[in-house]
Amino acid sequence: MTVVDLPARAHPDEVRQPPGTDERRRRTRREYGLFALLVAPNLLVIAVFAYWPIVYNAWLSLTDWNMIAARPTFVGLDNYVNTLTDPAFHKTLGVTVAFTGLIVAGSLVIGLALAVLFNQPLKGRGLVRTISFAPHILSGAAVATIWLFVFDPGYGLMRALIEPFGAEPPDWMNNSDWALPGLVIVYLWKNVGFTALIYLAGLQGLPKELDEAAAIDGAGTWTRFRAIKLPLLAPISFFLLITTVIGTFQAFDVIAVMTGGGPGDATTTLSWSIYNEGFQAFNAGRAATLSIIMFAILLVVTTIQARVMERRVHYR
Amino acid sequence: MTMRRRTFLGLAGVASLAGCGYRSPDAEYKQPAGAVPKQYAGRTRVVFWSSYGGTNGKAVDKLVAKFNESQTDVYVEAQFQGSYDDVAQKIAAGLIARQTPDLAVLSDVTWERFFLNDALEPLNGYFTDGFGPAVFHSKLFNEYVVKGQSWCVPFARSTPILYYNRDVFAKAGLPDRAPRTWSELRSWGATLAKVDANGRPMRTLALAKVDGDWQFQGNVWQFGGAYSKGLDVTIDEDGAVAAGEFQRQLIHIDGHGYMASSPMTDFAGGLVAMCQDSTGGLKSAMSKAKFKVGAGFIPSEVAAGLATGGGGIGMFRNASAERKQAAAKFLEFLATPENSAWWTTQSGYLPVVDKAREDPALKKLVADEPNYGVAIAQLVNARPQDAIRLYGRNANVAIYTGLQQIYADNADPKKVFASVARRLEAIADEVSRLYESKVL
Repeated sequence: MTVVDLPARAHPDEVRQPPGTDERRRRTRREYGLFALLVAPNLLVIAVFAYWPIVYNAWLSLTDWNMIAARPTFVGLDNYVNTLTDPAFHKTLGVTVAFTGLIVAGSLVIGLALAVLFNQPLKGRGLVRTISFAPHILSGAAVATIWLFVFDPGYGLMRALIEPFGAEPPDWMNNSDWALPGLVIVYLWKNVGFTALIYLAGLQGLPKELDEAAAIDGAGTWTRFRAIKLPLLAPISFFLLITTVIGTFQAFDVIAVMTGGGPGDATTTLSWSIYNEGFQAFNAGRAATLSIIMFAILLVVTTIQARVMERRVHYR
Repeated sequence: MTMRRRTFLGLAGVASLAGCGYRSPDAEYKQPAGAVPKQYAGRTRVVFWSSYGGTNGKAVDKLVAKFNESQTDVYVEAQFQGSYDDVAQKIAAGLIARQTPDLAVLSDVTWERFFLNDALEPLNGYFTDGFGPAVFHSKLFNEYVVKGQSWCVPFARSTPILYYNRDVFAKAGLPDRAPRTWSELRSWGATLAKVDANGRPMRTLALAKVDGDWQFQGNVWQFGGAYSKGLDVTIDEDGAVAAGEFQRQLIHIDGHGYMASSPMTDFAGGLVAMCQDSTGGLKSAMSKAKFKVGAGFIPSEVAAGLATGGGGIGMFRNASAERKQAAAKFLEFLATPENSAWWTTQSGYLPVVDKAREDPALKKLVADEPNYGVAIAQLVNARPQDAIRLYGRNANVAIYTGLQQIYADNADPKKVFASVARRLEAIADEVSRLYESKVL
């Protein structure tokens, strides 16, 4: 950063104004005006579509409102007290953490493995890369519909694949023990291609010298991967970790189509329960409260991640 | 200076906060956008939000087209908006944005929230000789009457009926009829299991994963219980628990029942011998199934009892007087015996107009295909639903979520319903003030 010599601010009474100050002030004002004019369109859009809803949402979380009544009733912190002491909410948090943990771990590990594979000079890798990335650009609802067919116990692909071996496939989406793993499989299938692509870009950007030097010193493939490539990929892992955590917390489309939070509350994540409270139950206050809680959780998680990574991630 | 600006911003913020979400029940709101075809330009436009797609949606479109041809003052534009829930959500969102359809299809559990919160127009003032209490089937009509005032009129009303696969029954050597009691149904399970269903033993009954609380409302009565008495929750008491326990045993002890994402799809695909589903799916089921579809009464057990369901049409208070008058014309058109009967023949929904039953086309259909007469005959068993399901916001979801735990996880119905009851009691608390002032 360059250091600029700022003129010391003087008390207006003390100093007689040198000639030309008025003009400078006018120019400064004009520059401010121009600045405001240029940022206004973006600022306005962000304010209206991002900041305002957050503020409004915070206000709604202090009310009881069924979205049809003429006006919300102010109830203070009731919604927060009721939510935080509700056993159903604790269950939802547990499901969300399990769901997020499995998907984050799964997509980082499988994504990296795929990236390493795609980085080998193998025949047809271009095609395989494309195929693995393709699910990422499909709409969640379409992906969910396809997987409903795959998992269907009566007509599904799973049945056709598993039954010839004499085993009975589980009724994935209608069984509390299998529904969450089923959803995790679908999200991994959808997201791993993206993770792999980012890792692949990272791998290809690594400096060759270090790797070669280590190889000359006698380090094996695994050692080089673990001690050289993996640490160098840390910024990318960090980026993927944050985006996947946030993305998974907000996952909704596939859950809505495949399980609707069920059976029972087996796949009710925080984002699904926000939808359920808001648009099924028309309980705007409770839904807003859950949203604020989710916002707070993500803020804390991201801050912690950033703090930890600041110390351990080395950007080149 | 800084302080003043902050104060100003703060005040502006509070003022705009206060402005949001506040609406006046009597303000006049805009209509949702759409296009009026040239030949109907100059007419009063009425927007009708429907929740019927597929076969039934085409029939709605035909009715609307026929209405538009039949007169010169009103143009009705039917807009398909998705499921019953989707329609309710979109209306709520519309009201916040100060926009409202003139008419909308509202389900048995969504119209109440619009009524309780002053969003519906009372209909008594629009009644004529051809459109009113004397015209409609009294049970179906009265479900929308509160303190003498009508808030919706019946349209696509239904009851669950028992669908059974006649070919499978014949193969199994069972009589060609629906079982009379739930015990009889259960006793047929082993016989049905000997029939092959796509490489597996035929299962007896598919139970709905979503919205199963509607069928279960009837099942609870059939076992002598109730969801609630008024808003006093009774789902954790004997009859309801017995109904849950029966279904749990059918699924987890006998292995003859199971929870299906879409019981009707499985039934029409020949995977299961029976399901209890809406009469509104009859036509579609009979065209999709590659076997002979049978329909019968829902079995009884200690009592007969049946929840009606499906959609009525409500008019919105925030529409302009002119639009409301025009909308009433369309409701009157739907209430003619001919149109009501035609809608029944196209969908399988109940004829909501009494005289529609004498319509020659409907009579012929029932004579040729007795399945169409089942729901009509079964109406004698219909009762008004328990108040908590009707008036408790999301009570239906709380109940079917509990059922999923019984169906999927073999959970003890007594425990499940105890926890559902606590949830329902909280829901009842939320609505009790409005319920007591507007309904009782």
